[in-house]
Amino acid sequence: MPKTSTEKARETVKKEVRSVPIEKIIDEVIDKQLKVNPGIVEKDKYFEIPDKIVMFYKYSYGSQSRFFKTLKEDAKLSGTKCSKCNFVYFPPRANCSECYSDVEWIDISNEAVVLSSTTVWYSNSEFFDRVPFAMAYIKPVNADTAILQRIELNDKEYAEPNSKVMARFRKERRGAISDFWYELL
Amino acid sequence: MDKKEVAVVGIGQTKFRARIPEKSYFELAFDATKEALDNAGISHKEVDSAVFGIYNDLFERQIMPDTYIQDYLGLYGKSGTRVTTGGATGGYAFRAAYAEVASGLSDITLLIGVEKAQDNFDWSQYKSTPEVLKSIAYSADMTWEFPVGAYAASSYALLATAHMKKYGTTEEQAALVSIKNHSNAFKNPYAQSPLKLSVKDVMDSRMITYPFKMYDCSLYTEGASVLVLMNKDTVKKYKISDPVWVMGIGSSNDKSFTGFRSVHDALGNYGDIADLRNHYEAARIAYKMAGISNPFKELDVAELHDAFSFTELQAYEAMGFTTRGGGGRFIEEGHSLIDGDLPVSPSGGLLGAGHAVGATGVMQIGEVAKQLKGEAGERQVKIEKGRGLAHSIGGPGSSYATVTILGV
Repeated sequence: MPKTSTEKARETVKKEVRSVPIEKIIDEVIDKQLKVNPGIVEKDKYFEIPDKIVMFYKYSYGSQSRFFKTLKEDAKLSGTKCSKCNFVYFPPRANCSECYSDVEWIDISNEAVVLSSTTVWYSNSEFFDRVPFAMAYIKPVNADTAILQRIELNDKEYAEPNSKVMARFRKERRGAISDFWYELL
Repeated sequence: MDKKEVAVVGIGQTKFRARIPEKSYFELAFDATKEALDNAGISHKEVDSAVFGIYNDLFERQIMPDTYIQDYLGLYGKSGTRVTTGGATGGYAFRAAYAEVASGLSDITLLIGVEKAQDNFDWSQYKSTPEVLKSIAYSADMTWEFPVGAYAASSYALLATAHMKKYGTTEEQAALVSIKNHSNAFKNPYAQSPLKLSVKDVMDSRMITYPFKMYDCSLYTEGASVLVLMNKDTVKKYKISDPVWVMGIGSSNDKSFTGFRSVHDALGNYGDIADLRNHYEAARIAYKMAGISNPFKELDVAELHDAFSFTELQAYEAMGFTTRGGGGRFIEEGHSLIDGDLPVSPSGGLLGAGHAVGATGVMQIGEVAKQLKGEAGERQVKIEKGRGLAHSIGGPGSSYATVTILGV
């Protein structure tokens, strides 16, 4: 007798690893917070419950991978240059958005200039414990575009536009934009 | 094309409040829809289609919130489309609703703008705001800009500091926008934040992200705003006595990577990071369609998108109300006050009335329609030329901009 589809499913279910979803860990943390402060959710005028949306990724940088690989392994910045219009992209693009021509990878200078800047004193949940921090649109001397990046202010409160800055790299790098920053010169 | 083809014939909105926990997003949409349909004198059964302006799934805690609203409103069997373009959602949803009617696809379209926000809650801080900011910050580019710490206020602050450097605009000039719009809100019964402020109050309020202090920033708001749109023949058929016509729409999106905006590119004639280039372009297109050549002289009223006070100064310039770099002087001279030559945001704008994202642009277009009909109550401005403008913007560095011209 051939197996029914339900019998096949029963066998597969037995073989699969029954791991606890990571989301459960977050539920436990929130439950603890709720025990500390149970009045935080309203139950009378309207009815509230703690809830969440959590997504996990194993994200591919696609054609921009080369930038992050070079950043992680060599502590170097790289961009792309259009073979036809010579426009230099930083952050790099694998395609020229202006003329749709091919691009080539080039080294990007660590020397750069601030175009506009802000110092952040109140931020979102993920950065709440990091304030104050400064960020700016920063144009490397050999790029046609500016990148948004952090600036180490060296005790100043604000980085004035036109200030000269230099890229600095973390010792431990993971292949993310946070592997480097700029320092006011 | 004859411009008087599509009209706004019904206006409804809920009160804008920081949080409306006793209503879900579909219930807020229902309340505003009922008011708009009553205002138009029609039933939901007579509507051909709906356009939904809802910005952020994370606010609603629901992907595809539009389909649940459509069900709740009893609009099954009809077309429904959602628009989501950041802060400009309401304005762009209006564009889509206009196109729905102007194309002949629908005779009557409902435009439903709605947003929740403050069900977002940061369980480590025990407060909503940082989590609301996170919901929005996920609109920043997730590879290059979010991880640096970009969020809505910093994105617009980077435009403001560039403007200050290029044109000498001051924080005190921006404070005047905050004072004006919070003050206008006293006369709007739907507004969230009526406040009497001085320049000192604004300057002394806590720094959020330089140069924005707390009173330079709009607050997060929940609410809904709904309009009913009809084509010319249907306006006649229903004997609508006070239609407000759509005279022009212009929309333009700039590069979402703000650092790529340069005087050497195709929008370079409008400037660089310091200038709201796509706002200039959106205004140009809208004015051309509406046949307006001198907006300062030809408009009675404008509602501008003041998510941040500085942005309104920049928008005075982009809308052609004043010269490039003249935004600060424009408010110092009082032109945009409610009793000025060209009142801007009599509703209170986003600073005063609130910013219920998907509903905001719809509310501001509705406000212009009410003003043109002479139905704005205590905040009614003088209507002499019969033309008003609404400006709706959003996205990283305001990459989205749409301008709507209404007329009677």
